[in-house]
Amino acid sequence: MIYTGHGNREIVERIMPVSEARKRIRGLKKVDVTGRCARECIDIAYGFFTPLQGFMGREDVDAVCEKMTLKDGTLWSIPIVLDVEGEEVKEKGIKEDDTILLTFSGKPLAILEVEDIFGYEKAKMAEAVLGATDERHPGVRMINKLKDTFIGGKVTLVNPPEFQPPFDKFWYTPKDLREKIAERGWKRVVAHQTRNVPHTGHEWLMKGAWFSANGDLPVEKLQTGILVNCIIGPKREGDYIDEAIVLCHDELRNSGYFREDIHLVSISLWDMRYAGPKEAIFHAILRENLGCTHHMFGRDHAGVGSFYDPYDAHRIFDEIPEGSLNIKPIRVLEWWYCPVCGEVTYSGLCGHKEKRQKFSGTLIRSMLQDRVKPTKLIFRPEVYDKVMECAKKYGFGSPFCTKRYLAERGPVFVLSDM
Amino acid sequence: MVEKYPINIWINDERYEKLRQAGLADMAEEVLAGMRVIKLQCTEKQKDEILRLYPMAKFDTATTKSIELIPSDAKEEMFNLVIRRKSLDVIDEFLKNVKKSG
Repeated sequence: MIYTGHGNREIVERIMPVSEARKRIRGLKKVDVTGRCARECIDIAYGFFTPLQGFMGREDVDAVCEKMTLKDGTLWSIPIVLDVEGEEVKEKGIKEDDTILLTFSGKPLAILEVEDIFGYEKAKMAEAVLGATDERHPGVRMINKLKDTFIGGKVTLVNPPEFQPPFDKFWYTPKDLREKIAERGWKRVVAHQTRNVPHTGHEWLMKGAWFSANGDLPVEKLQTGILVNCIIGPKREGDYIDEAIVLCHDELRNSGYFREDIHLVSISLWDMRYAGPKEAIFHAILRENLGCTHHMFGRDHAGVGSFYDPYDAHRIFDEIPEGSLNIKPIRVLEWWYCPVCGEVTYSGLCGHKEKRQKFSGTLIRSMLQDRVKPTKLIFRPEVYDKVMECAKKYGFGSPFCTKRYLAERGPVFVLSDM
Repeated sequence: MVEKYPINIWINDERYEKLRQAGLADMAEEVLAGMRVIKLQCTEKQKDEILRLYPMAKFDTATTKSIELIPSDAKEEMFNLVIRRKSLDVIDEFLKNVKKSG
């Protein structure tokens, strides 16, 4: 079955059979890559980043930074680059037209056909993508930490990752997801991007987005689904642990807050750039490749601190050429608790603004930190029980990343020795 | 007016009973869908000291302007001080105790 992804291009999986790979990698020059590059290799190889088939060369990076497109004009907002030390390139004699082996933690991961080796001005990239060069921005710090040389070229996975429990049952490639969507008979799929354990504010964001996406479709047999796509990437102390994020979202459906036939949880590997509007475009592209037709964008989507206006990530969709995305943004304001209405309600509808009680992820985390069970109006009891179970089972007693969790947590995926 | 930064101590039934017995139940205020909290107000200096002592703690500049993610045992100690002193003005004593215990 052929599936079409972003840029109306076919979703191509670039994965070499293991028997062929064992022979192909013999004698190749090796470059051990960072966690981010390993995750992006996997994303490229399975088509999450369609139409990219490899790491970007200079022309693509230039086009992304200057025009928010690839060199062929396809909408694209974030550079996807493989960074290495220039010294290593020199020492190993890596040059254009070589094929090299990318390893991760010393194990074979992918081969890369070297098409371009180049340096790049990091400040230019940060300013273009993030609109900032201030080191207080985590995306700026990430760009500044990139090694000094980039290698562009097509990537082919030689050692597919083995996802570990509990992540294995949430790992679907774009092709898997297209099949799941077809099986369920969904005509429309609305994406919910998350890095959080859900409170009812998140639940209502998803429900509101579902209503918007379902729109004019018949309601006797539902044909609209919600894809909760959890971002798995680097963690910081105080973040929710990954296991709690995926399992608590799944619990919402298991406990009936979403029907079995309209809700699915999956994971994507991605290192957040916190690029606000540019990242919103990237998230739309990613979810278009997963088969989504709609994408929910809330307040301050993918933002950080006060670097972006809370609704910049909405407005950027007004600036892109018509037809450049095959996914519709669903723009939403806040949901809050209103003591007059006695319910979680939408700020675009509720007239008791002065009485509103705003959801704050930080406040909810603070309740969990104090081990005080929130009321079910703001946090489902089954989700509370699940988050505490995850704390015990995966988080060394805490639902939040601690130094110990960051050092000793179980891996999301492993690579075989081949 | 000097700006103050609250630390939210969430009140479950057990803590509420202790507050009630100490005659402090009216100090608890409802902030979100029936969730009760007592707010220990910190000065700028106290806020900075707390954030230095507990690096995982966070000053929520975006929504609540409160100091959050302080470890639960530290908050338990603050709550016990409130009950002992029958007052919400316990941050200086708390900081002194933490420094003393090294």
